[in-house]
Amino acid sequence: MSATSMTTAPRRRGNTGIALTRRTGMVFVLPALILFGVFIAYPLLTALSYSFFGWTGIVRGDFVGLENYLTLFTKLPYSEDIPNAFVHNVLLFVGAMLFQNTVGLGLATLLHRVRRFKRFFQTMYTLPYLVSPLVIGYLWSLMLSPLFGPVNAVLRTIGLGEIAQPWLGNPQTAIWVVVFVTAWQWIGFPVLLYGAALGGIPEEIEEAASLDGASSWQRFRSITLPMLVPAIGTVSVLTFIGAMEAFPIPYALGGSQGNPAGATDVLSLLFYRTAFESGSSNAIGTSSAIATLLFLFIFGISMLITWLMRRAERKLF
Amino acid sequence: MRRRILASAALLAGSALLLSACAPSGSSGGEQATGDDVTLKVWSWRTEDVEAYNKIFDVFEEEHPGITVEFEAFQNTEYNQILTTGLAGSDGPDVPMVRAYGQLQPNVEAGQLEPIDGDVDGLDAIAPSVIAGAKGKADGKTYAVPLATQTLQMFYNKQIFKEQGLEVPTTWAEFIDVQEKLLAAGITPMALGAKDDWILPIFADIVGSARYGGSEFEQKVLSGETDFNDPDYVASLGIITELQKYLTPDVVGVSYTDSQIQFTSGQAAQFPGGSFEIATFRNQAPDLEFGSYQVPVPDGAVLDAPVSPAYADGNFAINAKSKNKEAALELLNWFATPEFGQLVADELNQFSAIPGVEYEDAVMKEAWANYEDGQAPYLLLVDFRYGEPLGTAVLGAEVQKMFLGQTDAAGAAAALQTGISQWFTPGE
Repeated sequence: MSATSMTTAPRRRGNTGIALTRRTGMVFVLPALILFGVFIAYPLLTALSYSFFGWTGIVRGDFVGLENYLTLFTKLPYSEDIPNAFVHNVLLFVGAMLFQNTVGLGLATLLHRVRRFKRFFQTMYTLPYLVSPLVIGYLWSLMLSPLFGPVNAVLRTIGLGEIAQPWLGNPQTAIWVVVFVTAWQWIGFPVLLYGAALGGIPEEIEEAASLDGASSWQRFRSITLPMLVPAIGTVSVLTFIGAMEAFPIPYALGGSQGNPAGATDVLSLLFYRTAFESGSSNAIGTSSAIATLLFLFIFGISMLITWLMRRAERKLF
Repeated sequence: MRRRILASAALLAGSALLLSACAPSGSSGGEQATGDDVTLKVWSWRTEDVEAYNKIFDVFEEEHPGITVEFEAFQNTEYNQILTTGLAGSDGPDVPMVRAYGQLQPNVEAGQLEPIDGDVDGLDAIAPSVIAGAKGKADGKTYAVPLATQTLQMFYNKQIFKEQGLEVPTTWAEFIDVQEKLLAAGITPMALGAKDDWILPIFADIVGSARYGGSEFEQKVLSGETDFNDPDYVASLGIITELQKYLTPDVVGVSYTDSQIQFTSGQAAQFPGGSFEIATFRNQAPDLEFGSYQVPVPDGAVLDAPVSPAYADGNFAINAKSKNKEAALELLNWFATPEFGQLVADELNQFSAIPGVEYEDAVMKEAWANYEDGQAPYLLLVDFRYGEPLGTAVLGAEVQKMFLGQTDAAGAAAALQTGISQWFTPGE
């Protein structure tokens, strides 16, 4: 509005094409800010506050301080379910990381070199990522059914009958099925991200290195990998969040109780059970405490990973 | 920098999803009851029954001029949330369908429902374990009229029984003999989807209720005279291990829907399940000839006659904030009449909670006659779903462990006792 701000703005912003006053900028940010406030910040803070109260149904009772949190670590079933579920979340993360940074990176590297059908393969690998995880989960549970599933049938046909087993009924294999299906669904994501990062590495550097006599492993180790660290960082953080919040695939494969006998239980399932399936009248208090802890944990560790990755980047360059 | 923003935004947004899931939303708006004609809003989670309910309410409207019923059904899985919001606001239903037993308590404790003791006739005629599903645990008051009863029993494929020359067993020895003969003939005797834990306490009660003593045991365990470590209860769980060889192979890997297909496709001869299966079986396999029987009494059983465990499934209550309570009460009184019970049977194909109803479907008729001869509560659902952990959830996981050889009957019973002890004090 005022003439002064119109004239000072271009000077302050130097090379930006369009000059915006601070107030105009605020107006543009406002819609996003309101959405963020209403749908993210407000529920986040209310859930936090809920976790400090006792509840009877949906009526808020007295302030109980940290009692809901204490319940989680001292009372059954939480004191047994939380460590059990947490280990499975960690397994999911480790499994997905291993899969994505070996198979995913390998596929991306191969695709980077391929000229023909590159788009086709990229689309194929990304396809599962675009399908609802719930659908993927139910699909796999059908495929692995010991009665009608094709997986065991195929194994028997090709003479590997002794491997055939109730994959989702055996606690030793069930969690690995969850890990595998999750990693399988997600594989398109690192393939795309690493593919883009690989495309961003200037060819001259590699050429110069090969002229200097570097082997292909040396080139990968000293040029490609360091240049990929930012992408690896992003993949790691997002994989971590995804693994800690995993819900649809474990739900589709093992139900809300993490069947069989808790072998596929994860923290989000525990939260879901507590909030929506328990007859407990304090369900809101306890489940809010679980959600808050989970949020703090995910937030903290994600920050840590981001910080570590940035430090690694600085060391490399 | 952009990457950093992306990562931070993603982790914030991702984690927030979880938190926002447990924040209840508010509701506003109001509606005044005007004029002499009253419109009652009835809510339900039975989206599949809208047409049937409209027919049922046509009958009511004809008999009760001046009252119009507006029936609305919502997605079953989201109903609890929708109802909670509706009851908290002022534009909620006058007469909501509410859950039974433990799942009813949050609404009762929040003071959202009107007690109806003394205002509705015919509640006394309803079976105790069924009306218990409509009561507040803490105050013992009745808050609703039960809608349906589900009975648990063994279904069997009549054709397979005929082909194998088998009769419905009446003694335990005959029961085992039937299983052995089916096994020898290469037919899976019983289809069970043990991958879904919720079916397992149902199975446990179908084969074991008479062994531990049905409602006799219920009284004793509620009063504290005994607990789940009782030798009779442990022995009833022992039956599960005894019968494992007659179940679907790799039973813990089989899902509930797979087990249904096994039965309806004739791969398995029997299916231990609830009366809610009847409609499903009819839909999946219209030509399937099946019947049901009560599992005979095993040796050493507390009861001397077989029983069908049962529970109430759904209730109708009055919103404490309703402006049309008088009309709502009229409707609830009608829900407690045999006339409505008959409509539930004919239009909804469910067992009514009201006695004196006739069933046309042969399988329903048979199952209901069996239930009337020998009743028992589906113990863990009727009495042990009032706190966390739910009795049904604990036993479900424990039975899976029994199938996997990770625990035995005594261990499972002990785990059940430890679990429910977290919130259950006998005599309260």
